[in-house]
Amino acid sequence: MTIETDAPDDVVDPGPLTTGSRTTAVLGGVALVAIAVLALFGLVLSPADANQGEAVRILYVHVPSATAAYIGCFLTTTGSVLYLWRRSRWWELVAFAGAEVATLFTVITLVTGMLWGRPTWGVFWVWDARLTSTAMLLLLLLGYLAVRRLSADYEVRAKRAAIVGLLLVPNVIIVRQSVQWWRTLHQKPTLFSNGLDSRIEGLMLFSLFTGFIAIALVFLWLLIHRFRVAWLAEQVAEEGLEAAIAERRAEGASA
Amino acid sequence: MSTVVVGAIGGTWPYVIASWIFVFGSMGVFAAVTVVRGRRLSRRVPPERRRWS
Amino acid sequence: MWADAWLVAVKDLRIEFRSRVALNQVLPFALLVLVLFAFALDPDRGLLEKATPGLYWVAVLFSALLALGRSFSVESADGVRDALRLSGLPPVALWLGKVLSVAIQLLVLEVVLGAGIIVLYGTSVTGWPLLLMTIVVATVAIATAGTLYGVVAAGLRVRETLLPLLVLPVLAPVLIGSTRAFEAALGGTPSEGWPWVGLMSVFAAVYVVAGALGFGPLMEET
Repeated sequence: MTIETDAPDDVVDPGPLTTGSRTTAVLGGVALVAIAVLALFGLVLSPADANQGEAVRILYVHVPSATAAYIGCFLTTTGSVLYLWRRSRWWELVAFAGAEVATLFTVITLVTGMLWGRPTWGVFWVWDARLTSTAMLLLLLLGYLAVRRLSADYEVRAKRAAIVGLLLVPNVIIVRQSVQWWRTLHQKPTLFSNGLDSRIEGLMLFSLFTGFIAIALVFLWLLIHRFRVAWLAEQVAEEGLEAAIAERRAEGASA
Repeated sequence: MSTVVVGAIGGTWPYVIASWIFVFGSMGVFAAVTVVRGRRLSRRVPPERRRWS
Repeated sequence: MWADAWLVAVKDLRIEFRSRVALNQVLPFALLVLVLFAFALDPDRGLLEKATPGLYWVAVLFSALLALGRSFSVESADGVRDALRLSGLPPVALWLGKVLSVAIQLLVLEVVLGAGIIVLYGTSVTGWPLLLMTIVVATVAIATAGTLYGVVAAGLRVRETLLPLLVLPVLAPVLIGSTRAFEAALGGTPSEGWPWVGLMSVFAAVYVVAGALGFGPLMEET
């Protein structure tokens, strides 16, 4: 028994013209709401800190951004391992997208860290463990991205980038540990305490919590979009290659 | 930790505002660039290959 | 496998012995860096003496970049890479051989630079065991990590600018550790230096494993 469909056979599903989808639209909407709530609580409703003054409001975006950056790095290493081990192209693209989004959040962490530091310590930069480690994280990520963005065919790029990506988390751990030892050996840690030791509670804790939610949603939204863009970029590259091969064959046939 | 330096730098609010503008501004720019690039690339790829399947 | 590795190392060292690039170019570069630091940090103000451990290891790192680049540029000529793949040498042996050759060149460099800082910066050496152990561990760390990232960057047109970007952030812990260990050794408090040697040993172990595992897949491609 044949089943007849309504659509005539020659209509092809046109396929999405953007990297957006219903999922990302919903996700994006919720993220915007979360940002609005964060702004309300972080900037208006929550009180200033006893020690840092209004500068504590910067931490509501600074701390979640740092976490987002580390999650991105974790995705890069995981994706790289799975690509090398299982040849999973999906995971390789996750690794790449994770690194790109992690780089954005690392820059955000650095800048907000510096803008927090100026009113609190009086200077834009100190060589304390956290800021220095974040700067190193940025450099490690830029190294990975440089390899991943080489102009070479996919296999070469992906494999080399995966080696670098696989070592990203170990490198971050070793660098953080050595920087921390270095900066705390001869210094009293309280000298450059960045204020997180002070008890954070009530509305301030809620603002921080909202910050985590909002940043996590934005992170996820950006990750999905970057993944799809990375996929499309590989498709375009393959198309280009296939077209060139077809041209050569056509030339050979007609000669 | 003293709050002595705060007054000397002309108040903390400018730094707070600058931070938040940078944070959401850079996210917005990143998002916009990504979406635009996604649209441009989608047009160059045949429909059946546009999404991971 | 060790015999094969030694074979590869000897090949590289023989190339070096005949071309004398490391001797004539990398070594002078290292000494030049020491001299430049003297220009940058006025010797009369005591900065040079205080900063000697750090300057020493920065000079080693920069020279290591040259040595690593050289180690891979000798492979890109005359279809050597294909010959290596056809030779049937296990990739691990190939990798170990390269590491050995780089490590030996670095050790020679470090000894000469050590003489350099004694002469040029007036360093008086104490704490020999710590100093020597630091040199050994740091050399293994630099050679293993550097060779692995060297393979990642090998054969690419952008190799010369990519390799420093990859290697230097990764080697930052080695710089921190070896400098602190040297400071402890030269400053008479060796007990503070040994934990750093431990950290660098962990680092070296990670990269020995990573290199042994990663070198093979990287050699497979065209």
